Amino acid sequence: MNKTIVIVGGGPAGLEAAAALGSSPHHVLILEKEHNTGGKLKNWHHLFPNFADASEILKSLEKSLPLNNSEIKYDCDVFKMEQMDGNLLVSLKSGEKIKADAVLLATGFDLFDAYKKEEYGHGIYKNVITSSELEGMFVNNSFPDQLKDGLPKKIAMVHCVGSRDKKAGNMHCSKLCCITGVKQAIELRKYLSKSSVYNFYMDLRMYGQHFEELYQEAQEDYGVNFIRGRVSEIAEISDGKLQVKAEDTLSGRPMKMIFDLVVLLIGMTPATSAASIAQSLALPKSGSGFLAPVHQHISANETCIPGLFLAGTCREPLSLQESITDARAAALKIIEWLKLKDNH
Amino acid sequence: MEQEGKKRIWSEYQKEIADDHYFYVRSCIRQTFFPGSETTFLKILRDDLSRDVFEDARHTTCTGIGYHTDIVPFETIMTIAARHFALMTEAGYVNFVPSCVTSFGIYTEILDTWKHFPEMEAKARDYLWTATRREFKIPDNLSHTSDIIYRFRNELAELSGHRLVNKNDGKPLKVVEHIGCHYAKMFPKCGVGGAEFPAVLSGMVEAWGGEVIDYPERRHCCGFGFRQYLIKANRGYSLSNSKKKFESMQPYQPDFIVANCPGCAMFLDRWQYTIAEMEGITYDKSGKGIPVLTYEELAGLIMGYDPWVMGMQMHQISVEPLLDKIGIVYNKKDKYLGSKGQYIGVPQPPHFLLQ
Amino acid sequence: MGRLYERLCEDLRCLEGLKSCMNCGVCTAICPSAEFYRYDPRKICDTVQRADDESIEQLLKSDTIWYCGECMSCKTRCPRGNTPGLLIMALRKLSQEMGYFTDSEKGRQQFAIRRVIGDSILTTGYCMRPILVNPANHPEQGPVWEWVYNNLPEVMDKVGANYLKDGPGALRRIAPEVLSEINQIFQVTGGQDFFQLIEEFSKDKADEMCLDAGELGGDNAYFSEVYTKNSGNHH
Repeated sequence: MNKTIVIVGGGPAGLEAAAALGSSPHHVLILEKEHNTGGKLKNWHHLFPNFADASEILKSLEKSLPLNNSEIKYDCDVFKMEQMDGNLLVSLKSGEKIKADAVLLATGFDLFDAYKKEEYGHGIYKNVITSSELEGMFVNNSFPDQLKDGLPKKIAMVHCVGSRDKKAGNMHCSKLCCITGVKQAIELRKYLSKSSVYNFYMDLRMYGQHFEELYQEAQEDYGVNFIRGRVSEIAEISDGKLQVKAEDTLSGRPMKMIFDLVVLLIGMTPATSAASIAQSLALPKSGSGFLAPVHQHISANETCIPGLFLAGTCREPLSLQESITDARAAALKIIEWLKLKDNH
Repeated sequence: MEQEGKKRIWSEYQKEIADDHYFYVRSCIRQTFFPGSETTFLKILRDDLSRDVFEDARHTTCTGIGYHTDIVPFETIMTIAARHFALMTEAGYVNFVPSCVTSFGIYTEILDTWKHFPEMEAKARDYLWTATRREFKIPDNLSHTSDIIYRFRNELAELSGHRLVNKNDGKPLKVVEHIGCHYAKMFPKCGVGGAEFPAVLSGMVEAWGGEVIDYPERRHCCGFGFRQYLIKANRGYSLSNSKKKFESMQPYQPDFIVANCPGCAMFLDRWQYTIAEMEGITYDKSGKGIPVLTYEELAGLIMGYDPWVMGMQMHQISVEPLLDKIGIVYNKKDKYLGSKGQYIGVPQPPHFLLQ
Repeated sequence: MGRLYERLCEDLRCLEGLKSCMNCGVCTAICPSAEFYRYDPRKICDTVQRADDESIEQLLKSDTIWYCGECMSCKTRCPRGNTPGLLIMALRKLSQEMGYFTDSEKGRQQFAIRRVIGDSILTTGYCMRPILVNPANHPEQGPVWEWVYNNLPEVMDKVGANYLKDGPGALRRIAPEVLSEINQIFQVTGGQDFFQLIEEFSKDKADEMCLDAGELGGDNAYFSEVYTKNSGNHH
């Protein structure tokens, strides 16, 4: 019998899951809160570690959506779900209710709001920007005047902003900011050939395929500097330049450097859009507030609610590659579960 | 610099500040160097704002300088604090207001420790009973005296006769605000505006017409460092930290500095003199130094109080250039006279600083 | 786990001050002392969390733990919620309890602090008073302070203080019955014993250095030595 599968979120994980469910006989409905699909991938220019064009990847994800059994509804805010006779009733803010045999939450993540790290002055000092804002400049090929004049610039990349930080409320490691810092440092060196770029890091977690190589490339081919010390404080000096304080922990001395631009590598935080859904179902969360699966190792896509599944960064920080793999795994679990449901 | 961004942060740190009926405890350093500031605070609260402030002559030092020079154990200082809470309780008050920032930090730390370790509070009650047969209630509200002035900043602006505006060009005076480290760095939630962009002094300055300068070393310690100043051999620490602040604020040409911590106000005043004597440097254009005020003095000035009754003659850096800029009328000749107008000598002029 | 480490862990300020450190360096980056002295609060946290008694003993006997100014700026920034400044307070307490403080130049200064601030608390009820800021020892206070110091009753009267008189007000005389309460609190809470400990260890050291420490106050050779000695080996 054909069933309805609702996917909440039309980002990479949601799109990939829909594609993977294309071969099944079920009806797949994607509920996307924005005007278009793609999630945060839309705002990305080039991807680490190979500088792949993000828009190309998004196009290919969108292209593989099956036409026969899938449908996308835009501008849909899901705010509540309830269990009903073995199904899930999905409530939209518009008042519409949809009955689903299975639901996949692919609600993604939020970017850490950098203003919470008050000592970095984002939103106060104009030359303190976030990695996401920098990526947007590359996407739109639109840079602030002070970066355009071709003069040498000194730029700091600040790692771990809103990650591994109990004070900021986020104990977890977002794990992708490290490689993003390396990637963006190379891009800045390419764009501003006379610039010098300094990465202030605590640990560099180069865990993925070709990450470590990119780190080495950044040092050897692009002369990117790496200082092992977390930034403690940023202050504006009279001409809009920024004074950055950190300890060079390898030499054990405090240091103070002046920069033209500071890029804050903001981490991933649990999506606020998933919060009300989780609350309505009393869905457990991990310590950092991401949605918790039944079992982190062997049932990473299943939840304690029958018929409710998780994919992508709603459950933990993941790279694009990992999100896509995760989405396929979730699709497989959904198909298995619907089969079981049929047999009962 | 985006002021809206700062206001967003300030809005998250709205601490509760009691409106009336204060139990007031004094500061050792403020009494020593700025006793007139404490007098002024009480006058403003009692006479201008009609508030009830009670002082019990039996209160003492909180022993904070001893605690932060590591000769007074925690058990001892918390019992001294408990004794002050007992005096407050006995007098029928619930709002505890220390004049000193070190004390404010200590009371905050002790209350926080008691919250996390209730057995320590029980111990304090036990010690206090054994030693003095006194009992206490924990204050409903703990506010620093600068919090109180902050709370009434708009009322004072309405009552005041002066604005922090240069009468020669009509422009707002440029002000460096310095917050004592122990005001909010340990417990940001306990300070108005938090630790990174505190609003307690900038709120006063702006309400009274001045403009606050944000300079790179704004958050840096004045350099007191307790043992680092008290012991002669260590004073280089103290001096060099203040010097770092002066160098950082110099390009902004501040008209004056205001501090909420008694120690900071004294050091920022005296080290300017020392640096001038040692190196022939001043950080203002006139060669007279940058005047350093307590917030009580600042409030008193806009309210039209006599600077010499407030004790501003006790500053090493002359305040007259600032008084002239604001347009405050004062009697030059009275500056160094005694309380009955008698001549009691005058200070030697410094070698380098101009008067 | 060694003996000293266990004793440190009994101090609340050690428990509160150091949960776990990941060596990020934000404390050192803004530490007023790290910029002035050869001092690194991060390394102190690292040494203590290694729980090695030999290194802790070395720390307790060194100048290092006496460089901190207890401004507590480190507390605001630590992403793990540690306060190296509080850890320092626990280390200093233990250093004094063990008598290790007299091994270092900066540690020996505790004697002068105990004599000046400690006595002032117990005998007057103030940590400090104008009379303690003697222009001879405080040239940095400048000529205005010297004038104040030479005219204390008149100046204090003019600014509304109640200098050395009874009743409320700034710089009032604190009544003997109040002082006896303060002394009683010091007695009951171990404050008095702690003062005594600093005295005894310091006197032993003074003997060893063939300097007189007197019975009271700062008018003795050992006081002058610890109050003014700066080997210059701290940067």
